[in-house]
Amino acid sequence: MALFQTAFAMLYQFGDAFAFLVISCAGLAVIFGMMGVINLAHGEFIMCGAYVTATVAREGLPLVVAIIAGAVVAGLVGMVIERLVIRHLYHRPLDSIIATWGISLIATQGVLIVLGSTMAGIGTPLGAVTIGGDSYSAYRLVLMVAAIALLAALYLLFYRTRFGVVARATIQKPDMARALGVDTGRMYGLTFGLGAALAGLAGGLYAPTMTMVPTMGATFIVESFVTVVVGGADIFVGAAPAAAILALIRATLTAWYGQLFGQIGLLVAVIVVIRILPGGLSAWLKRGSR
Amino acid sequence: MTLPMRTLRRAGTLAGLCLAVTAAPSLAQEGEPIKIGVLEDQSGDFAAATNVKVHAIELAASEINDAGGIDGRPVELVIYDTQSDNRRYQEFMRRVLQADQVDVVFAGFSSASREAYRPIVNQFDGLAFYNNQYEGGVCDANMIVTGAVPEQQFSTLIPWMMEEYGPNVYTIAADYNFGQISAEWVRQIVEEEGGTMVGEEFIPLGVSQFSQTIQNIQASEADFVVTLLVGAAQASYYEQANASDVNLPMASSVNVGQGYEHKRFTPPSLADMYVTTNYIEEIDSPASNDFVERFRAMFPDEPYINQEAANSYIAMNLYKQLVERAGTTDHDALREVIAEGDVCFDGPSGNVCLDPQSQHMSHTIFLAHVNEDHSIDFPQTWENIEPYWLGDEGCDLTQNDPSAQYTPSNPPNQ
Amino acid sequence: MNTRYNDVTAVTTRREGSLWRAIGHLEGPQTIGRGPLFWGLVSLAIVAAAIYPLFADAWTVGNAAYFMVWTFMAMGLGVVWGYAGALSFGQTAFFGLAGYAYGVLTINIGTAYGFTIAAILLSILLAGLFALLIGYFMFYGRIRGVFIGIVTLSVTLVLETFMAQTAGPQWRIGEARLNGFNGMSGMPPLTIPWPGGDLALFPGRGFYYVLLGLVVACYLGLRMLLNARFGNVLVAIRENPHRAEMLGYDIRLYQTLAFGLGGALAGLSGALYTAWGQYITPSSMGLTAAALPIVWVAVGGRRDITATLLGTILVLAGFQSLTIYGSQYALVVMGSLLLLTVLAAPEGLIVAAMTGARSLWRRARR
Repeated sequence: MALFQTAFAMLYQFGDAFAFLVISCAGLAVIFGMMGVINLAHGEFIMCGAYVTATVAREGLPLVVAIIAGAVVAGLVGMVIERLVIRHLYHRPLDSIIATWGISLIATQGVLIVLGSTMAGIGTPLGAVTIGGDSYSAYRLVLMVAAIALLAALYLLFYRTRFGVVARATIQKPDMARALGVDTGRMYGLTFGLGAALAGLAGGLYAPTMTMVPTMGATFIVESFVTVVVGGADIFVGAAPAAAILALIRATLTAWYGQLFGQIGLLVAVIVVIRILPGGLSAWLKRGSR
Repeated sequence: MTLPMRTLRRAGTLAGLCLAVTAAPSLAQEGEPIKIGVLEDQSGDFAAATNVKVHAIELAASEINDAGGIDGRPVELVIYDTQSDNRRYQEFMRRVLQADQVDVVFAGFSSASREAYRPIVNQFDGLAFYNNQYEGGVCDANMIVTGAVPEQQFSTLIPWMMEEYGPNVYTIAADYNFGQISAEWVRQIVEEEGGTMVGEEFIPLGVSQFSQTIQNIQASEADFVVTLLVGAAQASYYEQANASDVNLPMASSVNVGQGYEHKRFTPPSLADMYVTTNYIEEIDSPASNDFVERFRAMFPDEPYINQEAANSYIAMNLYKQLVERAGTTDHDALREVIAEGDVCFDGPSGNVCLDPQSQHMSHTIFLAHVNEDHSIDFPQTWENIEPYWLGDEGCDLTQNDPSAQYTPSNPPNQ
Repeated sequence: MNTRYNDVTAVTTRREGSLWRAIGHLEGPQTIGRGPLFWGLVSLAIVAAAIYPLFADAWTVGNAAYFMVWTFMAMGLGVVWGYAGALSFGQTAFFGLAGYAYGVLTINIGTAYGFTIAAILLSILLAGLFALLIGYFMFYGRIRGVFIGIVTLSVTLVLETFMAQTAGPQWRIGEARLNGFNGMSGMPPLTIPWPGGDLALFPGRGFYYVLLGLVVACYLGLRMLLNARFGNVLVAIRENPHRAEMLGYDIRLYQTLAFGLGGALAGLSGALYTAWGQYITPSSMGLTAAALPIVWVAVGGRRDITATLLGTILVLAGFQSLTIYGSQYALVVMGSLLLLTVLAAPEGLIVAAMTGARSLWRRARR
């Protein structure tokens, strides 16, 4: 029994770290991993989703509806920003650092001025479940399921639907796609919007568990970038194993040596993984399968 | 008649002229405003807790000016937004002292920002009020600290909690100076009182995911948890602990009184949290209610009036008193007044006095208890708690000025 | 041909030749600006900068010196990113390391015999060696593109996270306590030995002139280096690494050296910053601090060292005055300006201004 208890506890910690990495990096995986836009405003899309979710939930609508609303609004905002700014930067991705940093400054400070320095939270639903004597947050178990569902849905979307195939074609060979009659401008807009919506979804999912402040997005940004980069060029092959490896390292180090080593260990692991596999995990995995 | 009159008048003008010439500096000073620099984080990470400090200073300034100023001189505020950025403190502390030539500065939220500007205040021999609760230990003649320090908050809180809930204590603290030093105080007091530390965990700033920590706490035999968490990210702990049914009473010196978490989080995530604070707006005394009323009359949208707001307001009034008693804004003269040991102010939080040895402030410490529905009650109040530690350890600013920050493991007399 | 000269003259001419060649490299293909007009403007700018403290108040002078403190890190990033094509997101790691090194060295040894100057040199050396190590690790490991950004960012964040928790008394090097997140203070300012008492350079005129001298020397030195073979190879690598490699250049070596140089310059900024404010904190290695140099360099124009230098000072001064006069709206305005710059002047503001001025000049001459 005690063994089961410890095993479940370990699994829970791993799943929790895994879910956090997967959910927070999904949006960035599309925008940065696929499109190559270095999006420093990723955290602000997350904040946008969280704020909308909290507002809608406080209107009395069910949390699921609120989270979807958060994702949709973030996605729409993303499409507008793509139209106005990002569209001009596809051929010079490094400049997107400056542009998105600017957007992030405007968003954080704008929210502070308009909505104030804090926002009331909405509370974690579902309560706790007791498993083998320890109690766990049920909502966090839901988040783990959500992370896996999200991976599956993204895979289906990009590999099994027409939109996905066209989107990948547009981003890999825009000229060819255009020659075949694809409205590439629209595809870029939609893909960026999808990335922003995924970031909004992350905000919505984590909104009930976090404090709502304009700078809340900053907690996500480093982990997101790190996961996407370790994953490598092909995000669908790389991101999930990257999140799994990093989550394992983080959960183990945190459990044994405390949060400091969890944090530092994650970053050191990134440096080491990139050194050993300069193309990221996906390049290595693909080489293995060839 | 006319001649003498004229001569008299002329003599009068002459005398007046002479007077004007000799009295020119003091006369100019009489009408000239007293400039007060205000460096607070109105944007960035700390904005939630610090915007209200600026408002409290503005409130005090307008009240002082309406009542005729300080010693007949109006107060003029020079306010800069430091954006929660230590570099901005360095830039603007130089600016207020060198370019704006202010008489006194009210500055700083985080301890890092205070340490960033302190060398500059010392270099220009300026005077700065630090109106924030912090980890204690600053022994610097150029600094006056009105915030509460650990000996005031923990020597009251921890024994009370141990008596109420039991001797087994688990501390989680932010992994930096404030958290580590506060945790040291908690450890020391728990041992003195015959309790046991069943766990102690330090969380790097910016960490927002606490599953492992929560599990460690649940596995321990703790009777209550001391939470010394700092910053928006770490505040996520309460929600997550509540969701995992930790159900232990919490004790803290930072929450509620600073970041009004009980207003921002959904009940009951902070239920059974006990905080020692020297002021919060729920304190139900005539002076406090009056303060809240005046505050909201000027700033109707203020989300919360926290202890730092009260400290800033008190600091303004203390400075007024110092200048009026010294008859000048000269720092040495002001410090001579402080050395008399009776600089006190009866304000929103009760009567408080400046301690000449450390230039810290005594406080009435309120034990605030957060209920299920996040309303506050006060099971206990301790009056006139002195900031005794620095003085006991040998910091005496009336004798010498080491301009240093000490910690329990690195005291002044070593 | 050489047989005409005897050995001694051959050596001296070669030396003189290399000196002249170095001076000749002040202008060249890798830097904007050539000819008497440009150098006239440069001299005018230096003269203006030199006499300006006579007319300005103490704070403005000290503040201008403070802006110059950061330009070395920016120019270093200009070399690494703009010329060598490796975007480093972690120049602050070297900045912070050198800052702490200056603090530890001077707190332990003091200011006698001009030691603070030696401390600055040692700090630069340390930062440069650390950068060479990281550079070796990355470039010899064939890490490329955005991966460089993430590795360097991770390095600086590891340093920040580690330093932030060193508050306890056990974290000390000699006399110097690292003092965690609150930051290390108590180190002396830059002190120059002087007959009749050392000169402590608190921010003010003295500090300003030292900084001005360093900026000018550094700027001219980098121009010479970038127009010489080293700079040409860096640009060749940036434009096409495979071609450069096929032409026989060890691109790893060149990139590592450029990275080391960038790190050393960031270290110079770090040591000077610590000496300026007598304070260094882990947050100067954090995410926001790490993003700032990239913004400075990109706004000015990363492909030219003059643009980098001027752009950095422009952004620093602009953002500071916005914060002074713009209250809470400052950050919103800053963000909007960045957006506008990227959209309207893709090459960078200063580069756009310089090319604009050049075409105007040409049109006027016609």
